[in-house]
Amino acid sequence: MIPRTGLPARACRACVWVAMAWGASPAPAAAQVYIGREVPHAGTFEVSGGGVWFGGYDLGSVAAEETRNTGTGTGPFVLFTVDSRAKPAPGLQGRFGVYLARSASIEAGVQLARPVLSSRISGDAEEAPEVTATETLTRLIVDGSVVLHLRGLSFAGGKGVPFVLGGGGYIRELHEKNEVVETGREYHAGAGAHLWFGRGKRRLGARTDVGISRRSGGADQAGIKRMVPTAGASLAYLF
Amino acid sequence: MRRLAALLLTASFVGAASAPSAAYLKLGTRVGTRTVTLKWTQMPIRYFVTDRGTAGVSSAQVQQAVLRSFATWDTVPSARASSEFVGFTLANPSQGDGATVIGFQNRPELDRTLGATSFMVDTTTGAILESDIFFNSAFAWSVAAQGEANTFDLESIALHEIGHLHGLAHSAMGETELRAGGRRVIAAEAVMFPIAFATGNIAGRTLRADDVAGIGDIYPSASFTRDMGSISGNVTKSGKGVLGAHVVAFDLRTKKLVGGFSLSDDGSFVIAGLDPGPHIVRVEPLDDGDVESFFDLTLNIEVNFRPQFYDKIVVVPRGGGTSGVELKVVAK
Repeated sequence: MIPRTGLPARACRACVWVAMAWGASPAPAAAQVYIGREVPHAGTFEVSGGGVWFGGYDLGSVAAEETRNTGTGTGPFVLFTVDSRAKPAPGLQGRFGVYLARSASIEAGVQLARPVLSSRISGDAEEAPEVTATETLTRLIVDGSVVLHLRGLSFAGGKGVPFVLGGGGYIRELHEKNEVVETGREYHAGAGAHLWFGRGKRRLGARTDVGISRRSGGADQAGIKRMVPTAGASLAYLF
Repeated sequence: MRRLAALLLTASFVGAASAPSAAYLKLGTRVGTRTVTLKWTQMPIRYFVTDRGTAGVSSAQVQQAVLRSFATWDTVPSARASSEFVGFTLANPSQGDGATVIGFQNRPELDRTLGATSFMVDTTTGAILESDIFFNSAFAWSVAAQGEANTFDLESIALHEIGHLHGLAHSAMGETELRAGGRRVIAAEAVMFPIAFATGNIAGRTLRADDVAGIGDIYPSASFTRDMGSISGNVTKSGKGVLGAHVVAFDLRTKKLVGGFSLSDDGSFVIAGLDPGPHIVRVEPLDDGDVESFFDLTLNIEVNFRPQFYDKIVVVPRGGGTSGVELKVVAK
């Protein structure tokens, strides 16, 4: 077989071996400004774990109402009013991802938190003292995301790589002191950055991200869809 | 079987007793040291209507209003109640004849009573053997679809009395105010509230959550057991149980108000027939109403305490119950 370049076949094979050998050997550190073309690549895994913060959100206001008799006023008779809110809560998160390409990965994650729901009860028609009733939930979120790594916006000599992500998940919330579990859905979008240390195929790094999660269902009291800000910081490991 | 004829009279009033918001209550009778719930043991409930109307309302219209009222109770999904109109009768609504009769009677001496329900019960089991309802023709009545000024709505009052006929006592889910000559309802959230809405008002034709929970508690259907839940606990004052406290559960999702009473000396209560989900719990005394509209006056009903809320959100499980709700009240 005569290659199109006109080189003999033996010479061509030699070129291929040289090229492969060059590609397999690490580049000299002094000359490297980027963590290397080979990591991450398609098939590289990433695990991370750390803390997450969920913002608080309003659960709405409802009134305990009775039906008015004729001639006693207009509108329902309000026995009392309840204003509910989920307080901000810290939590833990873990993620496992796989790179589909150098700039794209998919990941699955779990988040665990114990937010407090509070309901402020006021305006009692018989002047019962105002009370804030509370309940602590145990919230588990299992989600999946598509992550786009913006390598063109890398920083810190290429060690820092921003990303954007989006996905959806399943919410499972256990009420305090009983076995009641309520489920819901969430969709999220966010952005963050990795900062990788070292140069090898296996690297330790840090990951931070912020996002917004649109949730429905779960233990919310008023059946409303709500937006929940989130922020997380984790240690990450690439292999 | 030892059967005793027991006349229990429970009535619907025009401006009489009142209470702040509270809950459904089941009729009961003492058997030895325990109280058994009055209930029909066989369905459908077969009833007659007196072949006599009143001014402006024919006997046929009475029968149709009663039929609609029974149907309203019969169609509660969480209860298995049913009824059957047998026919018209010349008999008066009176106890002891073995037939359940509903109709008008002229009782001008009962100048605050729109209607009343009486029972013949087996006092060994609580089984209702017969129940009669009379509507007082000393008042002006109407069956107009949209109600009629200066007349009481027959269907609304029939719905209330038929609630008694099923075994429900009075609910205190309502507010009243004192006026010259009696009390006036400001608002109510139960058909079984003892005082009727004003003339011309037809809001009493619709069952409320408290009524629905009550009928389901007496005649639970499969869905009541499977899909509903309960809250239970104790009401105490200075470490002692409070008898007759009204405990109300407010559903934060559906906005339904359903309640129960503490019915024993240790202050224990159970509120059944609740939708699953988070609830606010409130306790209050029967402090401005006639206690006898709800309880036997021989009972030591505690009314000297302030209304208050439980400081936890109480989550009701589907098909189960949340217990241990401790409500510690303080004197006024």
